[in-house]
Amino acid sequence: MSSASHADCPGLEPLITLLMDGDTEAALREARQVREAGAMGPLEVVRALEAAMDRMSSKCTAEQFNLLEIMLAGRAVTAVAHDTFPEGAVPSIKGTVVIATPQGDVHDLGKNLTRMVLATKGFRVVDCGKDCPAAVMVQAVAREDAFALLVSGLISPVVPLVRQLRGLLRERGLAGVQLLAGGAALKQCSAEALNVDFVAGDAFECARYLDGLEASRP
Amino acid sequence: MTGLERVLAAVRCAHAGIPAVPQIFGHAARTGDMPLRRYLTDPAVLAQCQIAAMERYATDAVFALFDASVETEALGSRLRLPKDSYPIIERYVLERASDAARLQLPDPRRAGRMPVALEAVRLLRCAVGDRALVAGCVLGPMTLACQLMGAEPALFAAIDETAAFEQVLDFSVELALCFGTAQLEAGAHLCIVFEPSASPAMVPPAFFRGLLKARLRRLCEGLKHQGALATWLHIAGPVEPILPYYPDCGVDIANIDYCVDPVRARAAVPDLCLAGNIRPMAFLDSGPEVITEACTQVLSVARRGILLSSGCEIPLDSRPECVHALVRAARNEAVRP
Repeated sequence: MSSASHADCPGLEPLITLLMDGDTEAALREARQVREAGAMGPLEVVRALEAAMDRMSSKCTAEQFNLLEIMLAGRAVTAVAHDTFPEGAVPSIKGTVVIATPQGDVHDLGKNLTRMVLATKGFRVVDCGKDCPAAVMVQAVAREDAFALLVSGLISPVVPLVRQLRGLLRERGLAGVQLLAGGAALKQCSAEALNVDFVAGDAFECARYLDGLEASRP
Repeated sequence: MTGLERVLAAVRCAHAGIPAVPQIFGHAARTGDMPLRRYLTDPAVLAQCQIAAMERYATDAVFALFDASVETEALGSRLRLPKDSYPIIERYVLERASDAARLQLPDPRRAGRMPVALEAVRLLRCAVGDRALVAGCVLGPMTLACQLMGAEPALFAAIDETAAFEQVLDFSVELALCFGTAQLEAGAHLCIVFEPSASPAMVPPAFFRGLLKARLRRLCEGLKHQGALATWLHIAGPVEPILPYYPDCGVDIANIDYCVDPVRARAAVPDLCLAGNIRPMAFLDSGPEVITEACTQVLSVARRGILLSSGCEIPLDSRPECVHALVRAARNEAVRP
């Protein structure tokens, strides 16, 4: 779904605004109200969720990006998604990715945020958690048939583990899997230095890169 | 001129040579061939490694800086200390911000690793005297709040239970003053206020202005009152939007990370001493020529009021030749006409 797709449905605007404000209670009320009034169905709600995150993406230029505002918007988006789809999260319409914070690092705020952004955009995200050994990540990629592995690291001691991932994927016959890195420490490095395909400056940049890959997948 | 004199001259924005103050914390354990766990639990080992690193690289400071978990451990959080990496908090002492009322200020002479930190300060000051800066460290209120509750719950509590969260922040200031005072009494020349969770990457500038500025001022003024020779606020990431508040917080030394343009930082706070801003990972993934070039760029902007440093802690496995390059750049600048 494109970010422009909500433009022809002005009825989504109040919900999008509440989601961006991170006002969970008000967003839930608005979403229920429009659903109950028959003004929009679940798929329109999904469009509002995605539009809200797309607008956060535009707002969060490098200068304005801050975790708190995105977390608040993310919490509201997640609450409305669960309320709209009580059987599960927003339907996954894109491929599967595996995400983890590498062993030795327990700072998982960035990972959690990225998971939420990607789930909202329709990716199926398998979260291996924090302090995660490389072997567990690679196993998850194989088991879940993921097309990308994402690692988020705040501190520099995780760099050696990240550098090993490409080789470990190859050993499992997963050479075609895309490797992405992000987080305060890892984003200081080049993709070459980390032996990965892409280093994302933030969660939204990661989503854009994956969207690009998704578009070119057969 | 001693390293301490160079640092204090830089704080006054006087020109007396460029202090070389790379942020060597756990890297000192690596160069001293010590597992990080021993370095973080044995004051003699930390002091020995810090002094060895200072002498090896000919820097102008030693750091009695352990990890970001000393305070929360002293209050009852449960840690796991891996053999060779920084501690991991397994259980936070606060489940909810509203539980802050039951917290009691710890006795720094007895609680957790606080006595270890105090002894390390004492050993360093005994060994170094006034030859170089002996820096202690306290967590700033936002960072300590995150370490007491976990970052995500703390950030949500700041919005959902603001009054209770402010109690956590107030308690954190009192704890920082208590622990900082003990470090100053043990011999630290100053205490770095380590506050990465106040970064604009984490919280918007309005949050800093509304919830943190006055508390940081209380903390900085309190440390000065207790004898700190200067105040050093260490916030990593893109701090430019909050730099203009630093003078009002009573900050003397402003840390600037690699992503901050030193020209703009200097313009924002012309009378503050800047500490930075070489990219920390460059000490690991680049060669000395990259460090030299980066130092030249920083020093072209500021030859006064600067501590030539990394933007944050250098990686544990930093290349020694890169650290030497930073120090050489500072010393070469000192002899330049």
